[in-house]
Amino acid sequence: MSVVGTTAPSADPWDNTSDDPTRRAPLVLGAADYASVTEKVAELAERRRPPRAWYIAFGVSLALTGLLGAMILYLFTTGVGVWGLNSPVGWAFDIINFVFWVGIGHAGTLISAILFLFRQSWRTGINRFAEAMTIFAVICAGLFPAIHVGRVWLIYWVFPLPNQMQVWPNFRSPLLWDVFAVSTYFTVSLLFWYMGMIPDLATLRDRATSRVRQRVYGLFAMGWRGSNRHWQNYERVYLILAALATPLVLSVHSVVSFDFAVSMVPGWHTTIFPPYFVAGAIFCGFAMVLLLAVPARQWFGLEALITLRHLENMNKIMLATGMIIGYAYFIEFFIAWYGGNVYEHFAFVNRALGPYAWSYWIMVTCNVIAPQLFWSKRIRTSPWVAWGICVFINVGMWFERFVIIVTSLSRDYLPGSWGAYKPTWVELCTLLGSFGLFFTLFLLFVRFVPMVAMAEVKAVLPQADAHASPNEPERRATGTLAVEKA
Amino acid sequence: MSSLDPTTDSGRPRSFWRSLDERADTPEFRQFVEREFPAWADEMLEPASRRRFLQLMGASMALAGMTACRWPAEPIVPFAHRPAGFVPGEPLHYATALELAGAAVGLLVTSYDGRPIKVEGNPDHAYGLGGTLAWHQAALLDLYDPDRSQHVAQREAGPASWDDFVAFARPHFDALRAVRGSRLAVLADASSSPSRADMRARFTAAFPDARWYEYEPLSRDNAREGARLAFGRPQRTHVALDRAETILSLDEDFLLHHPAAVRYARDFVLGRDPDGATFSRLWVVETSPSLTGSVADRRIAIPNRAIQAFATCVLAKLVHEAGADLPAALDGLGPVLDAARRHPMYGRVDADLVLDLAGKAGRTVVLAGPRLPAETHALVHALNATLGNVGRTVTYTAEPDPDRPSHAQAIRDLARDMGRNFVDTLVLVGGNPVYDAPADLGFGDLLARVKTSIRLGAYEDETSRVCTWHVPRAHIFESWGDARDFGGTVCLIQPLIEPLHGGRTDLDLLAQLLGEAPFAAYEIVRRTFARGAAEPDPRAWHEALRVGVVAGTAWPEAGPTIGTAGWSKRLRAALDAPAYPEPGSYELVFGPDASVIDGRFANNGWLQELADPLTKLTWDNAVIVAPATAAEMGVRHGDVVRVTRSGTSVELPVFVLPGQAPRTVGATLGYGRTRAGRVGSGAGFDVYPLRVGDDTAWADVRVEPTGRTYRLATTQDHFAIDTLGAQERAERAVTLVREVELEAWRHDPQHAMPGEHAVAPVELWKPHEYPDERWGMAIDLNACTGCGACVVACQAENNIPIVGKAEVARGREMHWIRIDRYFAGAPDAPEIVHQPVTCHHCENAPCEQVCPVGATVHDAEGLNVMVYNRCIGTRYCNNNCPYKVRRFNWFNNQKHQSDLEVMIYNPDVTVRSRGVMEKCTFCLQRIQSVRIQARNEQVRGENGRAAGRLIRDGEIVPACAQACPTRAIDFGDLNDPESRVHRKHASPRAYRMLAEFNVRPRTAYLARVRNRGGHPEGAA
Repeated sequence: MSVVGTTAPSADPWDNTSDDPTRRAPLVLGAADYASVTEKVAELAERRRPPRAWYIAFGVSLALTGLLGAMILYLFTTGVGVWGLNSPVGWAFDIINFVFWVGIGHAGTLISAILFLFRQSWRTGINRFAEAMTIFAVICAGLFPAIHVGRVWLIYWVFPLPNQMQVWPNFRSPLLWDVFAVSTYFTVSLLFWYMGMIPDLATLRDRATSRVRQRVYGLFAMGWRGSNRHWQNYERVYLILAALATPLVLSVHSVVSFDFAVSMVPGWHTTIFPPYFVAGAIFCGFAMVLLLAVPARQWFGLEALITLRHLENMNKIMLATGMIIGYAYFIEFFIAWYGGNVYEHFAFVNRALGPYAWSYWIMVTCNVIAPQLFWSKRIRTSPWVAWGICVFINVGMWFERFVIIVTSLSRDYLPGSWGAYKPTWVELCTLLGSFGLFFTLFLLFVRFVPMVAMAEVKAVLPQADAHASPNEPERRATGTLAVEKA
Repeated sequence: MSSLDPTTDSGRPRSFWRSLDERADTPEFRQFVEREFPAWADEMLEPASRRRFLQLMGASMALAGMTACRWPAEPIVPFAHRPAGFVPGEPLHYATALELAGAAVGLLVTSYDGRPIKVEGNPDHAYGLGGTLAWHQAALLDLYDPDRSQHVAQREAGPASWDDFVAFARPHFDALRAVRGSRLAVLADASSSPSRADMRARFTAAFPDARWYEYEPLSRDNAREGARLAFGRPQRTHVALDRAETILSLDEDFLLHHPAAVRYARDFVLGRDPDGATFSRLWVVETSPSLTGSVADRRIAIPNRAIQAFATCVLAKLVHEAGADLPAALDGLGPVLDAARRHPMYGRVDADLVLDLAGKAGRTVVLAGPRLPAETHALVHALNATLGNVGRTVTYTAEPDPDRPSHAQAIRDLARDMGRNFVDTLVLVGGNPVYDAPADLGFGDLLARVKTSIRLGAYEDETSRVCTWHVPRAHIFESWGDARDFGGTVCLIQPLIEPLHGGRTDLDLLAQLLGEAPFAAYEIVRRTFARGAAEPDPRAWHEALRVGVVAGTAWPEAGPTIGTAGWSKRLRAALDAPAYPEPGSYELVFGPDASVIDGRFANNGWLQELADPLTKLTWDNAVIVAPATAAEMGVRHGDVVRVTRSGTSVELPVFVLPGQAPRTVGATLGYGRTRAGRVGSGAGFDVYPLRVGDDTAWADVRVEPTGRTYRLATTQDHFAIDTLGAQERAERAVTLVREVELEAWRHDPQHAMPGEHAVAPVELWKPHEYPDERWGMAIDLNACTGCGACVVACQAENNIPIVGKAEVARGREMHWIRIDRYFAGAPDAPEIVHQPVTCHHCENAPCEQVCPVGATVHDAEGLNVMVYNRCIGTRYCNNNCPYKVRRFNWFNNQKHQSDLEVMIYNPDVTVRSRGVMEKCTFCLQRIQSVRIQARNEQVRGENGRAAGRLIRDGEIVPACAQACPTRAIDFGDLNDPESRVHRKHASPRAYRMLAEFNVRPRTAYLARVRNRGGHPEGAA
């Protein structure tokens, strides 16, 4: 993809959001060339000492991770009773957090795989970032089903391990499907992320100034020399992995939704769940990417690579997916009324008007009303305003899972067994700790790994286009603001 | 070496030694002791200090008890069901009895290798018929209660031994005998035991000047006195509820708080067979909602003080309006009945009630509860006489011990004597008067002033604390004894186990005080049994022990003549009293608690965690307030209120319960114990301080909010419900708990059932086949009274843990069977339904499909079984269970069990670990044991070869079904068309809860039949 020549460049050279159909908006801004891109991105991973802010953020995140560890230790030594669960509410924060984090992960895969297949080159600026987020989110997600069981020391029984008793897991259980779906998802995401990173790791290896860095990056670069054959194999495998990962974007959250849809709990047992969950996952995943990208591009001076146009595109996706889930909320109510099942009918009335109505209206406000602001281009292109909306969206999506899980379970069939749920401090600390784990991993990522896919960004630079337009040198000349300046 | 040989050492008495070094007492050994046991060096090397010695003795006595757990030590212990030889590990069943409220219910106790683990009803006992109530089941837990007192104690010196006590008691009582027992008194709990009566007679003979008092805080003395008024002598009333067409219960909770409750519940249900000829209509007039009130067809809620006037008006209406003939002996009541016409209650007497009672001579029953004054009881005798019931549905037997003062009088007399320092030696046999005597007596202070007080008690409780001597009382399952049931038949009590803590029975103690020792309970019971003969007839004795009852000892029916002398005037005077409390005050009605009764079971965790049948409250009591009254007071559920009666106030939380009479509040006794033990101390609120003077039934109180709130732990409606939820609950309840009107049922049973027509379930694939047995359950809601016996029976049978108040409040109670209670109708006149819910063993079990590890599966007979070993605890199964009958072990609930407590476990049932889901198994272990027995009983098969016989219908009885006093639960083979359960499944009354989801439950409910009659929307 190349930048089509233009006659009317925007007044602000950093604003590439104009939708002039006669020219393609540039994907990289500033006077970027191969060297400057490498310099800019690699330098961030090569700094001897990261800025003080990194240390502070890392310290806080690590402390929260420690809190998570302490909570898990307490849980393991004492029992699941340290959480506020009961009968009938057998799941709450554990599965809410699981679904929340799995959902977060989806945007990364969507960006890296589906947008790749659809040749959306704008993805190159954010895909590394988003994929890393996916991996870390799935790590956080996988943690919760593992620790939520009563006898955690036997959790390996969910895997179909050959054994002398010839006892197998129950293949009819959606929880088992979860095990397969999430573990597959994690494996493919990790492979995809790592595979795409090999050329960049080789760059870091080549630029290494110390023996240790050279060895470590060298090990992970797996002997990449950038030969034609390497590139050819690389491109082919990348395409295959993208093709493999694409169905996972749809399947993983569909399977997660089966945990609910396949059961017979009123409020869970609805066929709309798979598409609704996938849309919700992409919705909150993009919100999380933006949540991370906005500060990162500013603090690390990546405005030229993660441009306003990237942010705007993501906001548009959030607007679209937000509308989908808004529709889903509506259609759930419609079907509950139209279906004539009194239990389902009550489950939904109870959501909106029952004891947990507050959580329902938080969810609606954050997920349906807040993204409507993205109709305004001004808001779409104001990174920090969008960032604020993304915070709302993530809160809203967490509450969506709360609403689905807790309100449905608390009042199912027999009124004699109705109950209520209140989290304990252990659950709140565990949730907080999972954010600590996520940010710890993310901060390590931005410290040691190139956070923008250098090799891929270079491919969308004008220079990479053999058929560069004659305007190109001129444009390059006008780009007076050097990347370095930021 | 010879000096080290103990056998040759003749210089010292024979002693045991642990090592040669110890024996030689070498310096090396002394050094070793000091190094290894520095803290104990003194005791081990020097003569033991007295204190240390007592501690060690106490500990070793506890251990000595353990060694006795292996085998019952009494020489003669015949079996109720005799196995072929004694097989260790094979459970044995012994007949014994438990006496509550002065009447016994026969029990069969299952014992494993000398370890009693389960109580069941004795089917050979006429007042149990195999059923029990929750208390009988839970009595077992007390046996293994580590808080039970474990040694004799003296107030100053602390722990002592029985020998110390004997050394004190022998000279002390010898001296008392010399002065004819003057300044000696005995305060005993009520007992129907013939042996105890005999010992009392001997005691009185030996100490002629001694006083003997009996006291129970909740007694039926008003009924005795009422009969004395009516007949000139105390008579006990017996009713035939199975033959009655109309039952009018005036504040009588005959299904729960009655000495014959087990039998009466059964009779009541027998009289309500929807397929039978008669189906009784139950009218209940009461103040606080009771279990009996909850199953009433028509219930009238009025203040307790107005019930007598109501009853007078019933009789007046019968005579004046329905043409009933007042017997000549009752002519004295004429003026009263005339006056009653002008009483405001006259209008409250429903015309339907009069119609139901009139003209049915011998087919109605009127009962009066123990709270009502003696005149009301006399009036009820008059009512039954007028209705022609006497000799038919109502019979009388002479009360034993007719001349004893009432309990209220006895405790008052004793307190007076103590206050005048007339009592130097007081023997307290059981009871807990410091806690439960009328508060104005100041019994605790008086008792502390008595020079010598000897307390025989199971716990070192409030009373023992102020006594000079405490002697541990043997548990009923450790005791020899006897007791009479409500009809007078003697039940033998035999021990299942040696006393774990060296406890003594009341007979042992009295024998000791009389100087008869070592003559003890066993010999005393045999002596009583022999009735004057030197030795009991061995065959009769063995037979009585085996069956548990002594045939031919029932009291003969008495034919007392009724009169009105002395009480008709009082009845007339009572009519002038106001029917409602003065404005600003409320009538507080005291009642026995469904769990702890009067406080005696306060330390019993099973009972504390058993939900009250109506409030579903656990671990607490509360002041029961009707919704309208609560609004009037300006209080809400859970608010703490100050209840004041003439200067004394008690603060306790409000429980808003529909059905409490207007202008009244209710409270149960037995809570707020301070020295009950680790379980019961501090649970609930003590309302005894408000129970002063002679008004033990009710008191006028003021109720003020304190502004504080209190967390009440209920097993249902764990949290206050919103309007939306309440509305939905009311709508659902009628489809979940179905009822039919008797009229509709009689008209056309096939179409009487409400509810939708079931859609034929679609099977996507071929269902599993169960060619052999297909177990199923049927629960007859028409028979269930909601008493809760099944809940405790299940807990005992299946090793179900107690989780405590905080966990119940979180919704984590572990009961495998629960009784859901729903209200219908207006909050001021609610109709109440009870529905036992346990695992339905669905054919299409939703739990099985979702378990990731397959820990819950169907077995070959279609039972939904839980494989504890395989469970990893995802809780998905419970989320997906529409009946919410699964229970999760949130913690290691068995962790803090002492060696003593674990003895209660049923060895046939796995004790579940932390993190495992559990639920009802249909008592799989019982199915299995019957199956093994059937297979071993060889019969000739079809092909001439020997094979095991088939399991007979009714042979397998799950614990819940066994305990049920009304046999509401049936279990059996659905493949057998002749089985009871199959027939019940086929009944037109049968329905399956939530059947529309095609889970195909194995449990069918049989709809409850209402017999409201008249206008069906209920009265009052």
